Amino acid sequence: MPFGASIPSPPPTYLVHHLACWFQVSNKCWIHNGLSGFVPAKRRAMVLPLRASFWDSIKSGFLKNNNSTKVVEPPSTFMEEEDPFPQDIVLLEKTQPDGTFEQIIFSSAGDVDVYDVQALCDKVGWPRRPLTKIAASLKNSYLVATLHLISRSPGTEGIDQKQLIGMARATSDHAFNATIWDVLVDPSYQGQGLGKALVEQLIRVLLQRDIGNITLFADNKVVDFYKNLGFEADPEGIKGMFWYPRY
Amino acid sequence: MQSHGVLLPLRGPSSSLSLSRHLRRQLTLTSFHSSKASTRPRSLLLPVASAAFTVSDGELETRGFRVRRSSDGLDVAALNDVFARVGFPRRDPDRLRRALGHAGGAVVWVEESKRGGGPGKPVAFARATGDGVFNAVVWDVVVEPSLQGMGLGRAVMERLVADLRRSGVSNIALYAEPRVVGFYRPLGFAADPDGIKGMVYSRRNQKKR
Repeated sequence: MPFGASIPSPPPTYLVHHLACWFQVSNKCWIHNGLSGFVPAKRRAMVLPLRASFWDSIKSGFLKNNNSTKVVEPPSTFMEEEDPFPQDIVLLEKTQPDGTFEQIIFSSAGDVDVYDVQALCDKVGWPRRPLTKIAASLKNSYLVATLHLISRSPGTEGIDQKQLIGMARATSDHAFNATIWDVLVDPSYQGQGLGKALVEQLIRVLLQRDIGNITLFADNKVVDFYKNLGFEADPEGIKGMFWYPRY
Repeated sequence: MQSHGVLLPLRGPSSSLSLSRHLRRQLTLTSFHSSKASTRPRSLLLPVASAAFTVSDGELETRGFRVRRSSDGLDVAALNDVFARVGFPRRDPDRLRRALGHAGGAVVWVEESKRGGGPGKPVAFARATGDGVFNAVVWDVVVEPSLQGMGLGRAVMERLVADLRRSGVSNIALYAEPRVVGFYRPLGFAADPDGIKGMVYSRRNQKKR
């Protein structure tokens, strides 16, 4: 393996099938720990049923001419009992030519600053909404998922920049149905498969929580995007309807 | 669409009162990775959240029906019976109770008054889930088959929509089977507005790995 320091014992075979290729930086899995930056986490167990094609698309987008990009798949062996469903997942790691270390992290913890959300909405061109309403909508959402870009410049001794670059949320009755709203990716980071990753992870968490009916309403332009993720439009002729929509 | 002679303030940001055409066009080209934006430019004319429903609470009372605006006193087993009679799957009662507890207050049902008092059985029902400020989705709209065609479905829907709008939510959506699209249209619902599609996730639709 070109990048690994030490190679772990082979993971159970049933997990390897899902990966096109799997790079491991070291034995450790780095999980972003809220305020204090990086914490070398214990090896967290998770099975990520991400498709091989997804990793290919991620690598092709992110790598470009940069050989130092690594696609990080968290350890795929189930080892920890205490937290079988970790909230944070490192999707990508990259070391820039100048030595800056970057990670893109998915989180289902919903730990998000409402000003960052508003800034993200601005970047994608949405109309301003009152901050109190944004805050309330997040608080009342069943699940708020985020993508953050973590950057650590060389020599800054562990002080990280943390930037919100994607978000999606779902409302739910906590039992049967969930509806996904407001899937956003910073335009500067679009085209790399991050939107797909965001929605796939969101679905994964909802299914883990046994919410069986996952729905959304898609603008015409993104219907195919969601079809590729497993969504079906007008299943059995069932129509999405809106009360006095304005367009 | 009906237009009423009442100008209502736009919901959402007050700055959108006069949207430039450029911004309006930009808004319809939502960012590539977004599902329906939870705010869209609203026209200045909106139907008033009518205090007068098609059939008033009083009229329903005289017919032996009582409108209930919360899940208090709702007999979950009886509701499951109605689900079964309309062809919905029965739900696990504990999960159904959990769902009712998380409706954000948006539950409307019609109780059939019982001779001698006491709680009556639900004969019409609708609930909504949402974030309480921007979006809501209506689920499980049912009317006891033997009592359909009398306006009970319309009664619960009108009140549910009014309750949602009173709390400030103006993006109200639902999924309608083909045979009931016509039921929702006169209530003010439009299918696939601007090409927006309702979509459902299906595990078997995932591409093979």
